[in-house]
Amino acid sequence: MTKVLVPTVCPYCGAGCGFCIAVEKERASGIEYMPDHPVSQGALCAKGNAALEILCHPERLVSPLKRRGEGWVSISWPEAMDLVARGLSQAKKKHGPRSLAFLSSSKCSNEDNYLMQKLARLLGSPHIDNCARLCHSPSVVGLNRTLGAAGMTNPIPDIASSRCIFIIGSNLAENHPVISRWIHRAKDRGAAVIVADPRATPTSWMADIFLQLKPGTDVALLNGMAHVIIKEGLINRDYIDRSTRGFEALAEAVKEATAERTAEITGVAAEDIVQAARAYAKSPASSILYSMGITQHSTGTDNVQAVSNLALICGQLGRPGTGVMPLRGQNNVQGACDMGALAEFYPGYKKAADPKTIQYFSAAWSVHDLPLGPGLTATEMIEAAAAGTIKAMYIMGEDPANSDPCSENVRQALESLDFLVVQDIFMTATAQLADVVLPGAVWAEKEGSFTNTERRVQWSHKAIEPPGAARSDGEIICDVARSMGLQFDYPHAASVLDEINRTVPQYAGITRERLDAGSIAWPCPTADHPGTPILHCSGFNLADGKASIVPVAFRPAAEAASSDYPFILTTGRVAVHHNAGSMTRRSPSLISREPDLYVEMNREDAAALDVQDGDEVKITTIRGETAAIARLGDRVKKGVVFMPFHFPGTNILTTEITDQEARIPEFKVCACNISRRD
Amino acid sequence: MAVYIDINRCIGCRSCEVACQRVHGGHGHINVHYVGDYAAVPVLCHHCQEAGCTKVCFSGALHKEGEVTAFDVEKCTGCGLCALACPFGVVWTDKLAHKCDLCQGREQGPACMATCPANALSDDFELAARRARERAARAAAVGGRR
Repeated sequence: MTKVLVPTVCPYCGAGCGFCIAVEKERASGIEYMPDHPVSQGALCAKGNAALEILCHPERLVSPLKRRGEGWVSISWPEAMDLVARGLSQAKKKHGPRSLAFLSSSKCSNEDNYLMQKLARLLGSPHIDNCARLCHSPSVVGLNRTLGAAGMTNPIPDIASSRCIFIIGSNLAENHPVISRWIHRAKDRGAAVIVADPRATPTSWMADIFLQLKPGTDVALLNGMAHVIIKEGLINRDYIDRSTRGFEALAEAVKEATAERTAEITGVAAEDIVQAARAYAKSPASSILYSMGITQHSTGTDNVQAVSNLALICGQLGRPGTGVMPLRGQNNVQGACDMGALAEFYPGYKKAADPKTIQYFSAAWSVHDLPLGPGLTATEMIEAAAAGTIKAMYIMGEDPANSDPCSENVRQALESLDFLVVQDIFMTATAQLADVVLPGAVWAEKEGSFTNTERRVQWSHKAIEPPGAARSDGEIICDVARSMGLQFDYPHAASVLDEINRTVPQYAGITRERLDAGSIAWPCPTADHPGTPILHCSGFNLADGKASIVPVAFRPAAEAASSDYPFILTTGRVAVHHNAGSMTRRSPSLISREPDLYVEMNREDAAALDVQDGDEVKITTIRGETAAIARLGDRVKKGVVFMPFHFPGTNILTTEITDQEARIPEFKVCACNISRRD
Repeated sequence: MAVYIDINRCIGCRSCEVACQRVHGGHGHINVHYVGDYAAVPVLCHHCQEAGCTKVCFSGALHKEGEVTAFDVEKCTGCGLCALACPFGVVWTDKLAHKCDLCQGREQGPACMATCPANALSDDFELAARRARERAARAAAVGGRR
C-alpha cells in the first residue's frame, strides 16, 4: 500500500503552520508534522491536530441544494448554476448591479478570493468584502495611513530576536499557540515580555509585566506610555527626524496623559505603566504584537494608530526584533485583503475610489465599466439588505448569521433578500437562510496559495477529492461567472496565480514555480526578488518615504456599564475553537474539550449574585439574551465578564456600533446584566 | 527515557492531548491540568524506575524494559490493578490497560513532544533546569530582573 505525503497549510489561524496529510487509497489517513517548516517547526496546536476530523464529516454538504418550503432538495450542478444565474441576473436587471453584494472568504485561497472579487466587479458591483472587516479592518486603515503598508512588519521567527515583546489585546497563547515558542525563545535570551489585556490568560502567564486594563481603554494606555517615553527623553530623536512626520503634534496631544491620569482611566497601576514604557523604549529591539483586543472597538483605528505611534517615536521598526505585528486570525485573511476582497480596495490595495485604479484594472482585465468604490462593507451590506437596497447576495465561506454582532438583526436582513446563495462546507446558520446552497471544498481538497499573518505566501497542495458532488471553490466561482455570461477561463489555481502575478505588484514575483521551492513574503516585485520578510528597512511607502505619526485622543467605548446593565462583556476565542465554530464545533476531539458556551466571571461578582461555578446564568443586553454556564475565577476583574464567540449565543448580545472609519463592530465592549436562571 | 515537562512554558493549549489521542486511535495518555488561573501542567506516565504499575501487574503485561515502562497488550487481563497502583493517575483501564508508550513505532518519537507549540515537552531531563539556570545567570549579569 503506498502512502503519499501531501504538504498543506493548516486551515485555522493565521500563523500558517504547515503539515503533511498522509494519503492512502485516496483517503486522508493521518497527519505528519513538518519539522522544517519555518514558522511551526513541526508543531501544531490542538486545532491543527484535529484538522482532518472535518474532512469526511457526516454533515459535510455533498450536493447543491435548493430550498423547497421549509426543507431542502438536492439538485444537479447545472440546475444550481441556472438558479444562481437567474437569481443574480434578476436582481441586477431590476435594481441595477449595485443591488448585488458579495462576501468572500478569508478561509479560501488567494486564487478563490481573487476570482470572487473579480466576479463582483465584472458584474458591476463594488460591494465585495470579507470577514477581515470583523477582525483587522482597522489595521488595514490605520497601518496604511501611518506606515504605508498593512501587514505584520516582521516575520514570526524574528520575534525570537526581540529584547522586549509588548503584547496588547492578544491572547496568542490560545489563539496562535505556535507563536509562543518564539516568545519563549526570546525570553530565554533575556527578553522582557509585557502583556496588556483585560483578562489574565495563558499569554499573561508569560509576562514579566502584566497590565490588566479596563476594556476599551487601550488608547489611554498607549498615550500614557508615549507620555512617559517623551517626558523621560527615551524617544529616538534621530529616527523621528529622519523617518517620521507629526511628532510635535503627538507630543502636544499626550502632554496631559500622565501616568497617574492614565492609571485612573485604565485601572493599571501608574508604576506599571512607567515600567512598561521604559522597558519598551529602552530595549535595543522591541516589538508590539496585537490582535482583536486592539481592533474590535469603536475606536479600533485609533487604537492601531496609537500602537504605530509608540513604535515610531521609539524607532522600533525596520530592524530584526522590532516591528508592529497585527496577528491575523484566519489562514488567509491577509491574502483575502491582498487580493482586493475589500470594499475600499482593488487587488494590491489599489484604492477603489481612485479613477486610476479603475483604469488600471480595466486595462488588465480588458473590460470597461468597472465600478468605482468604495463599496459597502460586510457590516454595511447587512444594513443595506435590511433597508432593501441590497437585493441579492453571494456569500462564500462566511457565516455572518453567527459571526456578526446583534445576530438577530443579521438573520432578519438576510431573510429579507430576494436571493441568497451560500457556498460553504457545512449547513451553517447563514446557509439555512439561503435560496441555493453550493457545496465547496476544504483546504485539503483543493490547491492554492495562502498568505499567513507574516505576509508569507505558501502553496497548499490538494490531498484528496471533495466529498460527493462538492467542488473546489474556484471552479464554482468560474462556473457562476460563466453562467452569467463572463469570460472566466481558469483551468486550475495556478492559472489564476499567473494573472495575480501580472495584476498585483506585491505578488508579481511570487509565481507558482517559485512556491514549490518554499514560501515567499510579499512585497516581491520581480521573479528574482527574494521577498521582503522585514518591512520599512529603508523608509516608508508614503510621501517622502516618511511614516506618519497620527495623534489620537482617548474616547471611551460606545457602551458603558449602567444600573440596568452593570457588567462589561468582552468576547474572544479559546484554544480549542475557531471563530464561528462551524468547523471546530463539529470536530469531536475539540468540542468534547469545550462543549458549552460559558461566561467567565470574577468570584466576587458571582458571590453577590449567588452564582456558583457551573451554574447556568442568563446574560442580557439591550439587544437580546442568552444562556451560558458560569465559570468563576480571577481571570477577569470585578465588573468585567468574558464569553467566547464560538457559539451562536454570544453575538446575540454584542453591539452593532462600529468604528467610524474601518466599520468594525465593537465586539470587545458592551454592557450586560447577569442573573441566575431559575 | 520519558517525556519531561517545563511548566514555565506550558500554555495549557491541550495540543498534546489531541495529538496523543490522534495517534492512539482515540485513547489519549496525556492530560493537561490547570493550576488555578496561573499555570497548566500536562501529566503523563513518568516511566518510574520503581513502577508501581509493574509491581501489581500479575500477568506481566506491564513491565520494565530498561528505562521504559512497557506494556504487552497480549498479556493484559484488564483487571485494573495498575490504574489503582499508579500514584500519578496516568494508567487507565478501558477493558484493557492503556498508558503512554512513548509513541512506540513512531519513527520521529513522541507526538506530544513534536506538536507542543510552546516547546514545553522534551525527552531531555536536564532541559528545563538548564533553561532556568540560564535565565537566572542572565538576570544576574544585568543586575537582576528589570
